[in-house]
Amino acid sequence: MSSETNKILTTDGIPLEVSLKKAERKNKIKAFLLVAPLLLFLLITYVFPIGDMLLRSVDDKMVTEMLPKTFKAMEKWDGKELPEEEVFEAFYLDFRQLVDEKREGKLSTQLNYTKNGFKSIIKKLRRKSKSFEEGNYKEQIMSVHKRWANVEYWQAIKQRAPAITGQKYLKGMDMYKNASGEIVSVNEDRRIHRVLWLRTLEIAFFVTLFCFLMAYPIAHLLATLPMKYSNLLMICVLLPFWTSLLVRTASWMILLQQQGVVNDFFVWIGLVGDDNRPEMMFNKTGSYVAMTQILLPFMVLPLYSVMKTISPSLMRAGKSLGGTPIVAFWKIYFPLTIPGIGAGCLLVFILAIGYYITPALVGGASGTLISNQIAFHMKSTLDWSFASAMGLMLLSGVLAIYWVYNKIVGIDNIKLG
Amino acid sequence: MKTISKLLLAISFAISVTTSAFAVTVVSWGGAYTESQKLGYGDPTAKALGIPINWVDYSGGLSEIKAQKEAGAITWDIIDVFAMDTINGCDEGLFVEFDFDKDFPAAPDGTPASKDFFTAMPSKCAVGNILYSWNYAYNTNNVKGTPKTIKDFFNTKKFPGKRAIYKSALTNLEIALAADGIKPGKGGAKIYKALETEKGVERAMNKIKELCTDPKGGCVFWSAGAQPPELLVSGEVVMATGWNGRFFGAEVGEGAPIKQVWDGQGLDYEYFVQVKGGPNDANGKALKALSMMTNTEMLAGSAKYIAYAPWRKSSIAIMEAGEPWYKDGKTNMVPQMPTAPQNTKNYFLVDPVFWADNGTELGEKWEAMKAGL
Repeated sequence: MSSETNKILTTDGIPLEVSLKKAERKNKIKAFLLVAPLLLFLLITYVFPIGDMLLRSVDDKMVTEMLPKTFKAMEKWDGKELPEEEVFEAFYLDFRQLVDEKREGKLSTQLNYTKNGFKSIIKKLRRKSKSFEEGNYKEQIMSVHKRWANVEYWQAIKQRAPAITGQKYLKGMDMYKNASGEIVSVNEDRRIHRVLWLRTLEIAFFVTLFCFLMAYPIAHLLATLPMKYSNLLMICVLLPFWTSLLVRTASWMILLQQQGVVNDFFVWIGLVGDDNRPEMMFNKTGSYVAMTQILLPFMVLPLYSVMKTISPSLMRAGKSLGGTPIVAFWKIYFPLTIPGIGAGCLLVFILAIGYYITPALVGGASGTLISNQIAFHMKSTLDWSFASAMGLMLLSGVLAIYWVYNKIVGIDNIKLG
Repeated sequence: MKTISKLLLAISFAISVTTSAFAVTVVSWGGAYTESQKLGYGDPTAKALGIPINWVDYSGGLSEIKAQKEAGAITWDIIDVFAMDTINGCDEGLFVEFDFDKDFPAAPDGTPASKDFFTAMPSKCAVGNILYSWNYAYNTNNVKGTPKTIKDFFNTKKFPGKRAIYKSALTNLEIALAADGIKPGKGGAKIYKALETEKGVERAMNKIKELCTDPKGGCVFWSAGAQPPELLVSGEVVMATGWNGRFFGAEVGEGAPIKQVWDGQGLDYEYFVQVKGGPNDANGKALKALSMMTNTEMLAGSAKYIAYAPWRKSSIAIMEAGEPWYKDGKTNMVPQMPTAPQNTKNYFLVDPVFWADNGTELGEKWEAMKAGL
């Protein structure tokens, strides 16, 4: 008997196996089509922008293409002393080309990111270069402005030669590649990004901690009080949540400033002297107070939703088995709330790490965070590649924390509601 | 009934789409400032030309327009920007370059537009709109004596108490040097020459540091324009730098006990730029509206509502002839202008080229200094 006859056929003569596969494929396509819009949405709103950010942060083709001759001539230059005439000549030829295409403005913007001071000298060079004579370009260019005779500016140009670069990431850590290719820190009086990263992390960490300490009892009360009280309490939590962020920030300023309501009260009851009012605003204290209050609901709500599901009989059982209230709480209640704690802490931490309006308004000298710096480069200098690099650094920081959390607690243990 | 309401909805939608398609979109900072622009020259221009003008608020910077351009969907025509942004945006090719005297009308006496404006434009893409001042003010109830000079702002012995200063380096370095004894020179040229050197920057930073760490002084950093008058009125600080229009609003508009000091003020400008490839760029409507909004008479109009000086010299004459020019009908506006002769005895012009050149590095140094406070 041949194997042919063994095959089971459907009524229209197609082998059953084939027919089944066909039907299955159809279903798979249908299922895929069903999720396709969501997939597309994720691609467009999430994967694509982040990919674009990543590309932007390392892509430096533009300058490479603008100064092809210069970079070729610079290959032989060791980058220590001022380059030779041939580099100057190549630069002049590239530059003339750019001026003809009206692209020298873009070049000046780009070079200004690497070293400040390029904008004005390129404008000057454009004006003067029209009347340049042939030959001896080194002297002619150097006579335009003294910065053109400064080797640091030529080193800065050389830095932009590679089409793909990690310099923006180095810059985000206050480092750069010097002329001999070593990675070194920038001058002490300009080291600011590391300070800002640490400050951002510090503020986000403490705000999360304070939120947790305050939200836990509130959420517990909300979950255990009888309905008529807990509803009122819930409104107290939600009302500020619905109030504009700026209004809440401004109210804290009015309350806590040195001539503010709280200080007036302290002076009135004689707690502090009139000329010795404590400073509670325009410093870190102000940031902590205002941010904790603003982010509190994000901690209360997940905690509440988890606590609501914990049966009160569990605590009673723990106590009846001989545990003191503290032991019963610690061994039974607390572990059950961990999914809520995880969700709340992650939520608050991630929101806090990207915050900037509140600390900028109430934080005083230490009110600038890394997100202010990102916004500055997005809006003002238009150095989007540097802003992207810092944005990605921030994102990978958050992902790292997420990873650590997953290792310690387990991500399945998160519960938002 | 239902079909009728649906039809009405469709018609109103169609109308709103078509009007906004025909309207010239002008983007500005919002609040009292946009109000002064709208009442001062926006509405009259729209009426005279028959081109509707659509006002949109933004919070400054070029990121939105750059994003619009990259996405290929430009919806803005005219933007009200800082000087530095006109330079950066022009270099990026975002804005239209003007043929100044051809594109903008001469003064009534025939002076060409380029001569009628107070100074030359920072870039080919800019046309002046208002001049404002970074001056300082004090609370008359909390300060004994009368501060008169920029040195007094830093003099904590004579005038003890906290000061409010702007959160970034911009203008702070300049006033620090002016108070430290450097004569600004013509338009502040000497100050900027000093700031070109490391030594000058250090000197300015030290002066600020000294003020902020002084137990009799101390600093509060403001970031929003509404803050300085508020900090003064609440008594949180005794003196504050700020924008003169805001101080004027508190002093004259609301009767707050504050007084402005013009010595060592920094004159700064707002500009209009026209977006290249905007919806009304090719048909010429944007330029037509812009050119009318910045003529002598129109620019004077906005000073009726806010204490910022019109860019054109010829506008001042119109205001003088019309005093009291302020909308309350009793306040003379010319003496309130940052450009008034009695206010410009010792001043500097905020140099956009300097800040476009050095803004990032000085900003980093400034933040590093602040972190050490």
